[in-house]
Amino acid sequence: MANVKLVNIIKSYDGKTDVVKNVSFEIRDKEFVVLVGPSGCGKSTILRMIAGLEDITSGDLYIDNKRVNDLLPKDRDIAMVFQNYALYPHMTVYQNMAFGLKIKRIPRKEIDRRVRRAADILEISYLLDRKPKAMSGGQRQRVAIGRAIVRDPKVFLFDEPLSNLDAKLRVQMRVEMQKLHKKLQVTIIYVTHDQTEAMTLGNRIVVLKDGKIMQIGAPMELYNTPDNMFVAGFIGSPPINFIHGEIRKKEALVFTDTGMEINLGLLHNEAINNYVNKKIVLGIRPENIHHIPHDKSSRFAKISITISAVEQMGNEMLVYANLDKLQMIARLPSDSTLEADQLTELYFDTPKILLFDPENGNVIK
Amino acid sequence: MKIIKKTLFYLILVAAALSFIYPFIWMMMASLAPEQEIGKLVIFPSEFTFDNYVSMFSKIPIGRALFNSLFVSTINTGLTLVFASMVGYALSRMRFRGRNTIFFIIIFTMSLPFQITLIPNYITMVKLHWVDTYLSLTVPFMITAFAILMFRQAFKGLPQALIDAARIDGCGELRIVFTILWPNIKPTIITVGILAFMASWNEVIWPLIVIREEQLMTLPQLVTLFVVGGRAESQLGVKLASAVFLATPVIIAYLFFQKHFIQSMASTGLKE
Ligand SMILES: Nc1ncnc2c1ncn2[C@@H]1O[C@H](COP(=O)(O)OP(=O)(O)OP(=O)(O)O)[C@@H](O)[C@H]1O
Ligand SMILES: [Mg+2]
Repeated sequence: MANVKLVNIIKSYDGKTDVVKNVSFEIRDKEFVVLVGPSGCGKSTILRMIAGLEDITSGDLYIDNKRVNDLLPKDRDIAMVFQNYALYPHMTVYQNMAFGLKIKRIPRKEIDRRVRRAADILEISYLLDRKPKAMSGGQRQRVAIGRAIVRDPKVFLFDEPLSNLDAKLRVQMRVEMQKLHKKLQVTIIYVTHDQTEAMTLGNRIVVLKDGKIMQIGAPMELYNTPDNMFVAGFIGSPPINFIHGEIRKKEALVFTDTGMEINLGLLHNEAINNYVNKKIVLGIRPENIHHIPHDKSSRFAKISITISAVEQMGNEMLVYANLDKLQMIARLPSDSTLEADQLTELYFDTPKILLFDPENGNVIK
Repeated sequence: MKIIKKTLFYLILVAAALSFIYPFIWMMMASLAPEQEIGKLVIFPSEFTFDNYVSMFSKIPIGRALFNSLFVSTINTGLTLVFASMVGYALSRMRFRGRNTIFFIIIFTMSLPFQITLIPNYITMVKLHWVDTYLSLTVPFMITAFAILMFRQAFKGLPQALIDAARIDGCGELRIVFTILWPNIKPTIITVGILAFMASWNEVIWPLIVIREEQLMTLPQLVTLFVVGGRAESQLGVKLASAVFLATPVIIAYLFFQKHFIQSMASTGLKE
């Protein structure tokens, strides 16, 4: 198995604008790394450069500590699974999986052994004689994964493999992807624009925006300590609430906005001293807003607010509230007694508050 | 009311079909009739005879011409499919400088009437010493702008991921074109194949210009020379026999490929 290292990778399709801008990171052996970001941020481009399907404009790419910039895809010892499966329509499942091995001139017996083993792992043995047309999306996706497994590659590359499946199947395949990673013990680079997939699958997540890395870290690291507003807003569903306001110095430092004043004394954040009387953005996740405070301490900052809508999910309740122009979402227990148009009090769990510099979007800490 | 309409409709269709098929049937029957009876324009002659065919075979090497035509048309069709798909693939799937310019030049050549290129091409054949060889009948027809256009469109319609997957599986470009993409564009291959074969088979002017030796003449060329030139000695029966001989392979091919024939005729005008 192998590690993958990107060093100052730049990609430009037209020679003028860079769609991948000086990206460097390393994927360790047997790690499951997810590249995530909005549409057009360059995820697929990075993956395709690793696969050898696109030229690297500048920078170095290492697989297993060997520079592979100039190697053909077939010589990089990788396998890739595509969003629309990309099975050969005129071949049966067996032929689809065996094709690459045949080209490599692997003996027939060995091919047969590998194909049957992969089919076994993925539970698609009964499909071996079918053509892709005669299969469901989920079955096709398994075959596409099978085609990758039989190659026994150093690195697996997945480009949004689940996005063509319906919601239920996607959840099921997500779990299977995890199992597969455990069973095969391989290095996986996985591209998605779905933050849930990223959170549930990745050992580490690389968040991208406009061809630049915004942050790399374990899922909970990104969730709890995002580096900037983009990562904070991208990870988490429903998304984090951003509130624009100012820092004032009273008896303690407070965050003020029309209609609220929050004591930030509990944050133990020295850096905010530099932001007194300046604009600032406060971030708070929906689950850190409560209807009933755990205790009476100053940890729970009270704000008065009007409920605009309530979504009862059964296991939880999503509450939308308006404070002037500001929209906020809170995630409360499903037995909360709240309804639309009600004026109520909500409590921010102050130690969980994040503060950002509105100029560059970076977290203040 | 509906029934009357339908009957009328079919009557017209039958009449139209008959008016198309009648001259053809007459030609077949007349070629089997004794010479004196041909002028009477009857369908069934008093007796059937193969005299006209025997006489035709003795006058001209029509068997050889049939072979020449089949040989030349098959080669031209095969090579057109191979070369046009290679060029079409490059134009649709590879990124290189001047790709679109090259494509527009190729398209532009389609608008040149063949009379313009006829003489220059002939001079080229003379300079290459290819006059009176099979080379002059095949090399100029190994690729056509139309075939390139058709393949380019067909390849454009296939998903890029199919090609990517093949690259990762270790295919080179040629293997991608012929083992991965070809099986997925069968209708285009059949269409281009049929049209290339028909074009080559029906070509008369060009062979008349570059081939003078009887042994190398194609079927339409030989029959044209035979009928229009003085060789048939104004015997109508022999002329008709050679015309039947010329038409028969096309009809047999048509019966086999009827469905595709109609499809290819219908689709060529419509596709982008
Ligand atoms: N073959 C190409 N030629 C020119 N530009 C391209 C090409 N492929 C991608 N791009 C551009 O590069 C940028 C990044 O594209 P890429 O496909 O990597 O995005 P992505 O993050 O995978 O998005 P998505 O989530 O929509 O798949 C986009 O602006 C896109 O328009
Ligand atoms: Mg993509």
